[in-house]
Amino acid sequence: MSDTGFLSARFRRGDMTPMEKIWQMSWSLLFWVSCIFAFGFAMLYSAGNGTDGPGSFQPWAIPQLIRFIIGLGMVTAIALIDVRLLLRYAYIFYAVVLVLLVAVDVKGIIGGGAQRWIDFGFINLQPSELMKPALVLALARYFHGVGTEEIGRPSILVVPIIMTMVPVALVVKQPDLGTALLIMASAGGLLFIAGIRMWKFGLAILGGIGAAWGVWPVLHDYQRNRVLTFLDPERDSLGAGYHILQSQIALGSGGLFGKGYLAGTQSHLNFLPERQTDFIFTMLAEELGMVGGLALLALYVIVLIYGYAIAFRCRHQFGRLVAMGLTTGFFLYFFINIAMVMGLLPVVGVTLPFISYGGTALLTLMLCVGLIMNVHVHRDVQMAMRGGFTDF
Amino acid sequence: MIGVRSKRRPFLYPGEEVRPSREPKLKLHGTTKHAIETGRMRLIATAGLFGAAFLMISLRLVDLMVLNDETPAVYSRSHGAARSPMARADIVDRNGIIIATNLPTVNLYADTHEVPDAKEAATKLAATLTDLKHDELVRRLTSGQRFMYLRRNLTPEDQMTVNRLGIPGVYFEDSESRAYLHSSLFAQVIGNTDPDNHGLGGIEKSFDKQLAQGNTPLMLSLDVRVQSAVHETLAASIVRYRAVAGAAVVMDVHSGEVLAMVSLPDFDPKAMNAASQDERFNRSTLGLFEMGSAFKLFTAAMALETGSADLNSTYDTAEPIKIGRFTIHDDHPLNRRLTVPEILVHSSNIGAAKMALDAGTETQKSYLKKFGLLSQLELEVPERGTPQFPSSWRDVNTITISYGHGISVTPVHMAAAVSALVNGGTLYTPTLVRNATGEAPVGQQVISKKTSDSMRAMMRMIATVDGGTGRQADAAAKGYDIGGKTGSAEKVGARGGYSKSSNRTVFVSAFPISAPRYVVFVLLDEPHGTKETYNFATAGWNAAPTAGNIVNKIGPMLGVFPVGHDDNFAPLNTLMQAYSNGGGSDDYAKPVLVKAPTVAAPKTTAEPVTAEKPAVDPYGESDADAEEAPGGIGDLIGTLRTGGTGAAQ
Repeated sequence: MSDTGFLSARFRRGDMTPMEKIWQMSWSLLFWVSCIFAFGFAMLYSAGNGTDGPGSFQPWAIPQLIRFIIGLGMVTAIALIDVRLLLRYAYIFYAVVLVLLVAVDVKGIIGGGAQRWIDFGFINLQPSELMKPALVLALARYFHGVGTEEIGRPSILVVPIIMTMVPVALVVKQPDLGTALLIMASAGGLLFIAGIRMWKFGLAILGGIGAAWGVWPVLHDYQRNRVLTFLDPERDSLGAGYHILQSQIALGSGGLFGKGYLAGTQSHLNFLPERQTDFIFTMLAEELGMVGGLALLALYVIVLIYGYAIAFRCRHQFGRLVAMGLTTGFFLYFFINIAMVMGLLPVVGVTLPFISYGGTALLTLMLCVGLIMNVHVHRDVQMAMRGGFTDF
Repeated sequence: MIGVRSKRRPFLYPGEEVRPSREPKLKLHGTTKHAIETGRMRLIATAGLFGAAFLMISLRLVDLMVLNDETPAVYSRSHGAARSPMARADIVDRNGIIIATNLPTVNLYADTHEVPDAKEAATKLAATLTDLKHDELVRRLTSGQRFMYLRRNLTPEDQMTVNRLGIPGVYFEDSESRAYLHSSLFAQVIGNTDPDNHGLGGIEKSFDKQLAQGNTPLMLSLDVRVQSAVHETLAASIVRYRAVAGAAVVMDVHSGEVLAMVSLPDFDPKAMNAASQDERFNRSTLGLFEMGSAFKLFTAAMALETGSADLNSTYDTAEPIKIGRFTIHDDHPLNRRLTVPEILVHSSNIGAAKMALDAGTETQKSYLKKFGLLSQLELEVPERGTPQFPSSWRDVNTITISYGHGISVTPVHMAAAVSALVNGGTLYTPTLVRNATGEAPVGQQVISKKTSDSMRAMMRMIATVDGGTGRQADAAAKGYDIGGKTGSAEKVGARGGYSKSSNRTVFVSAFPISAPRYVVFVLLDEPHGTKETYNFATAGWNAAPTAGNIVNKIGPMLGVFPVGHDDNFAPLNTLMQAYSNGGGSDDYAKPVLVKAPTVAAPKTTAEPVTAEKPAVDPYGESDADAEEAPGGIGDLIGTLRTGGTGAAQ
């Protein structure tokens, strides 16, 4: 056995014991994620106005902490799964989530209104959230099976486009355009990494603009209004404009070092709506100042670098694509959220990863971290195109 | 063998596990190599994009939190989200005084799905909001709508009481309601809005889009003070002369800006639904009236301008004009030749008719057109009248139109045209919006300055010389030098002919006449004679003093100084000299002129008429009190009128 244990045949084949896998996990990644969560926990404590002054563990901080601990267990458990099993069951997982999405739509029609979740009694499952990792896994499996020679063929693109557009259409119908765009953007990032020719992206973008251009004049006024309101919810709502206004006031009043923990006036005097979810970054920036905001951004950058490095380091296409697709999705989440509260983007309901209050979102994120971890643990496993065990 | 720890380095420092491995590079060739290189390039490009995005939000964060000097309000405006659909800009007068504004209010609505017991809720609500009917409330609450208005514009007290009722499913909606701060003062001009704050009439309708989208107040040319004085004076006159209606307009002669515009009867904008058609009717802009003898001003201006007559030209008014089976009389014929000023002072129909015939039909038509009296009113309200005049314009039309019959125009038409007569000859498009640009308004020169000077001199004479029909205006103006012309027209009866018993009187005037700044137009509909007027009901007795009263009230507000009766301006002096000298005409009969035509006023008082009732109306308009043979002028015009349409449409 050479000292390059990473290249040992057992590792390449993936025959690791659970203990070896646990040792192989990137604990430092979990540390950084925990750091971000700590920020979030502190903020949720601050957001929960207690009866005796600001700051309370209820109703948000403690439940979120419990979920995070469950999430850590989930990360470990997922990291131990053989990556080849992930590859093998990727399509099935995708199909199951797709069925759930259809179920939500059907139930939504029956229920008479927009419905995004299914109530399983113990948990309200939001299939559109689960669709993000499911689609990444499915696309990664697909491109893992595509040879380097085949990637240039246009026919190769038919299946991934269908795989992406079907859930996107279902999510749009809910209606949740924000999530649909996020799913599409993650898929686009994955296709980019997979090596699709640049001109095809250009063609797709041009085609999209062209289609919108062609359809627009045909639409009725009320339909156009819906689309415009869809794209920019503040357009005719008093509420969302109010959010942004208060958010900007809060950010502006934070200054370099902030007003001090538990001392943000905008948030504690209830000027800032949704301070525990979409607008939590504003509260953080008001209380901890620009320094606090930049520190959080730095933590996100570190986590991104991990995801990126893990993808770079991975020796199989499947893992590379999974890690990169999920990292892209993660990046889009916090980028859109922060850009939104700072008024760079229209208000869409996107939460701040690991910080915002919310069960499904946090657990989905931990699932993604688990998958990235799994890729990291199994970075050297050699897989055939169909995911079989290959002996060397 | 077991584990990945190398023997030399038992621990990995954080992050080392994800460092790119230092494994030896494999040599690859062809497509595989190309694909792998592409993959690596793409990864690096993605990393670059991430980095750029990070940089962007970091910079934005620094910008917002530390360098922030951009006001958030500007930002929110740019998104336009803070604007309620009910929002509407204020309307203010020329001095910035608010005429119409939006006030915050609360509407009551119900989500009927959430109301557990509609009947009980209706009973409670009807007891609190007494204007709501129980049955109607039940019908609304059981309609199954998720949003159903129950009542708009609750007072804070009502809101509190309803809130205390604690009815589930009943909610309040913040809203805005339009408030008109001067009650009925601007009724028809400003108009009103519907419950959703869309303009329904007047300025509110014509500027609907601008008011609904902008925040800048709309500044009108109207002046609340002047409007108030005019409104008050006109209303008092209507009561005094028992008239059924009235209209008045005050216009700036140098810009066409309307300072006041009143039409009575009017309504309170809050209760527009209860207002009758008559009350909503804006007589000033939509009402078409025969202006009677006031039109002789245009006939004289035309004659002077074209040179078909000068101030010394005389016309024989001794013989009535016979045209076809009709005869045109003067009221109290002087039976001699009259100069142009005399024709106006004594309001001679025969003289005006002859002047018009001299100038010619086409000339008359083109001049009236120049004065804007043949085309639809141009003004910033939707209610604008289009003048009525004969489609085929024959000699007989020329004659009647020369003294204002057989043609009907709106009061604003009249004010704009008379402004041009007195301001040096420039016709401005009338406007209700204050000119905020500071640029001089562009008008059209319709007559020469010389003609204009003569016109205002003659208008002044009408108000001053013995027997002038406008003398009561000058008396009422109490020291303001006003000049003007009366006009009376019999109303068109139900069967199309002129009615003997009811008439309309107008007085169109300008002040200060030595350097005119404003035109005041007054119209009274069916005024009656009173004891003070010796039962006369012609314009000189009611419309003229009303205009005088208005001038007396608004003069101080507009910074015009009274001159007493010391008239002294060049055109008038020249004219008066000619007038006293008998105009150089052999036919000039001076004694008749300087005295009151039929009845001299007692010399003991300054007022032209006092205790004794004159036998004949000294201010009588020829056509109003004229003794007419069957088939007289009234029937003539009645015949000419197309389809027997009323004068006021």
